[in-house]
Amino acid sequence: MRPDQQLKSSLKEIDDLKAALDEHAIVAITDPQGKIGYVNDKFCAISRYAREELLGQDHRIINSGHHPKEFIRDLWTTIARGKVWRGEIKNRAKDGTFYWVDTTIVPFLHDDGKPRQYVAIRADITERKLAEESLRLSTKEVLDLKAALDEHSIVVITDPQGKITFVNDKFCAISQYTRDELLGQDHRIINSGHHSKAFIRDLWTTISHGKVWHGEIKNKAKDGSFYWVDTTIVPFLDEQGKPRQYVAIRTDITERKQAEVELSRLAVLVKSSDDAIVGKTLAGIVATWNPGAEKIFGYAAAEAVGRPALMLYPPEGEMEEARILAQIARGESVQHFETVRVRKDGKRIDVSVTLSPITAGDGQIIGAVMIARDITERKRAEQVIHQLNTTLEYRVVERTAQLEAANRELEAFSYSVSHDLRAPLRAVNGLAGIVLEDFGAQLPEEGRRYLQRIRDSGDRMGELIDDLLEFARLSRLPLNRRTVDMAQLVQNVLGDLRPSHEGRPIEFRIDALPACNGDAALLKQVWVNLLSNALKYSRGRTPAAIEIGFRDEAGEPIYFVRDNGTGFDMKYAHKLFGVFQRLHRAEDFEGTGVGLAIVRRIVQRHGGRVWAVAEENRGATFYFTPAGKTTS
Amino acid sequence: MSDTRLVDILLVEDNLDDLDMTLRALRKANLTNHVQIARDGVEALEYLFCEGPHTARIVANCPKLVLLDLKLPKVDGLEVLKRIKGDPRTKSLPVVVLTSSKEQRDVVESYQLGVNSYIVKPVNFEAFAKAVGDLGLYWLLLNQPLGFRLDPA
Repeated sequence: MRPDQQLKSSLKEIDDLKAALDEHAIVAITDPQGKIGYVNDKFCAISRYAREELLGQDHRIINSGHHPKEFIRDLWTTIARGKVWRGEIKNRAKDGTFYWVDTTIVPFLHDDGKPRQYVAIRADITERKLAEESLRLSTKEVLDLKAALDEHSIVVITDPQGKITFVNDKFCAISQYTRDELLGQDHRIINSGHHSKAFIRDLWTTISHGKVWHGEIKNKAKDGSFYWVDTTIVPFLDEQGKPRQYVAIRTDITERKQAEVELSRLAVLVKSSDDAIVGKTLAGIVATWNPGAEKIFGYAAAEAVGRPALMLYPPEGEMEEARILAQIARGESVQHFETVRVRKDGKRIDVSVTLSPITAGDGQIIGAVMIARDITERKRAEQVIHQLNTTLEYRVVERTAQLEAANRELEAFSYSVSHDLRAPLRAVNGLAGIVLEDFGAQLPEEGRRYLQRIRDSGDRMGELIDDLLEFARLSRLPLNRRTVDMAQLVQNVLGDLRPSHEGRPIEFRIDALPACNGDAALLKQVWVNLLSNALKYSRGRTPAAIEIGFRDEAGEPIYFVRDNGTGFDMKYAHKLFGVFQRLHRAEDFEGTGVGLAIVRRIVQRHGGRVWAVAEENRGATFYFTPAGKTTS
Repeated sequence: MSDTRLVDILLVEDNLDDLDMTLRALRKANLTNHVQIARDGVEALEYLFCEGPHTARIVANCPKLVLLDLKLPKVDGLEVLKRIKGDPRTKSLPVVVLTSSKEQRDVVESYQLGVNSYIVKPVNFEAFAKAVGDLGLYWLLLNQPLGFRLDPA
């Protein structure tokens, strides 16, 4: 090709390239001072200026003011040195709107290397930029939201199988597990076991169907303690609408739950209390009224609430209520004071009242709770007891006087019996004796026998009177307690009784007998009577065996006398210790039937007891306990 | 009344039966020669202190023994005993209480008043007769009295 042809062809190519460039890019050319020398149609279109408005103008006409000075300086320094600059620039159109352009500025140089002009080729990237901005903004928003969520909530994410894939700090804090301990674990690691199977099934059914579940769950922390969380589980779904993961967002409601439990417990307490528990305002208006109050004061809750508590006071109690309200307003409580209130039916009742101020969360006193207990019964009982005590004292004085009088009478009676009853007996016995002595020879045998029987009866009556008087005497005698050497006492008694069984074959067995506390003279009488009986009723035995023993039964000292004599039928045992009670005929065994009565009286006066165990013809054992500790 | 004769025994007894039996017992023991009987405390005191029907008597001629029942009409035996032992003229006169009573207070008070012996009358006839006979023998025959009469001051 010829050079001109070649040139022509080259120019054509350049024109084509230029046309292609114009078609595709936004093109402007400025002189080194930045004055616009050329703009293409796309430049005009995007900047909304007409070409005439642009040509000859400083390029800064489309400056947006968006870029920092350093950015602009860098641009100019680069191109002024003849180097290509490339970057993204935000420009302002004629109507004030902004647009973004990807810009390449190519300096065209003189032969001396100085820029002759600058050719700026741009591509509109406004849309991309806006998209980027909006993405950046929404990303930031999501992050901010997430931060806010993390700050506020307990968050955990699991896969569809329930394996933990994410936990936030708050989750770790409340569950007391580290993140490492949780990630990859089954979410059931924090199950408390508190909820029913149906509850858990409902949860899983809901979320596995892609629906949000909301509820309150009790979980277990690593140390075994429990916590409550208000939980929202949001399933994130895949393209097929199947859950891809579950995001659980929770709030710690442990305190609220505990408060709820505490509150319901308190509510039950208040409701089931027999005491009246009444809330009232500082103005004295009833605010709450429990069943106890209904029972004690007779007003139903609906009647009482809203009315002044003054209705419970007796007419003279107005000042009391004012004083109480003033005390409450000062924050003082009033403990257990006893006062009088009036029931709905007008009946006055005694109550024990405690009042405490109620404070709001900010510490301000907003009212009082009054707890009142009906003590009418107690007061009445106290009064009765007081009265009883008074009458009792009076009665004791009265009875003592009666007893003393009875004692004096008994004494006078005994005295009189002692003197007067025996004289006629002596006459009966004596005069019969005189008849026998002086006129016996003149009487037939039968007459003498009858006279003898008169005399015997007189003798016997004398014995009866003597024993009865002795019984009365021992009952009256004051008890002179001291330590009594029982072993010595028994030896003395056996010595005294020896003449009565002289010559009889008797085997005595005597245990070690510890000392006891009692009246020596009276206890001696006990031994005399028991041993006399043992000797008497074993009369027919050869040899007679008499055992005198002691045993300690649970700290109770028991002395006993056992014989192998005639014994008695246990069905009459209850009669044994009665005065004049005899289980044997007088012909067989002499006696008045007073001996054992005396024994029982003495033992009873010591505070002890006496009893017997026997079998007919197999002997008898008499036990007695002189109450009081054994002394060694 | 033979006021002036000397008596061995002053028997103070209100009960007729006891009186008969006592006298019989004394008789059996041959001690009834000189017995003066008083049926109550007043009679006993009048005799001893020579008052009333006995003013002719002199106190110094007192009996050798007084058998004294305690339960007596008008003035009781203890009062009589008290007067005898409280009077210097009769203080050394042996007094034996012969009574039905075994009551401790009677025994104690009698001894405190200075009784010489306290005998409880047995109900049994033989025992009674023996007791009376024995005490009579003892006080009248075996016992050695003071030997002279104390005269009133």
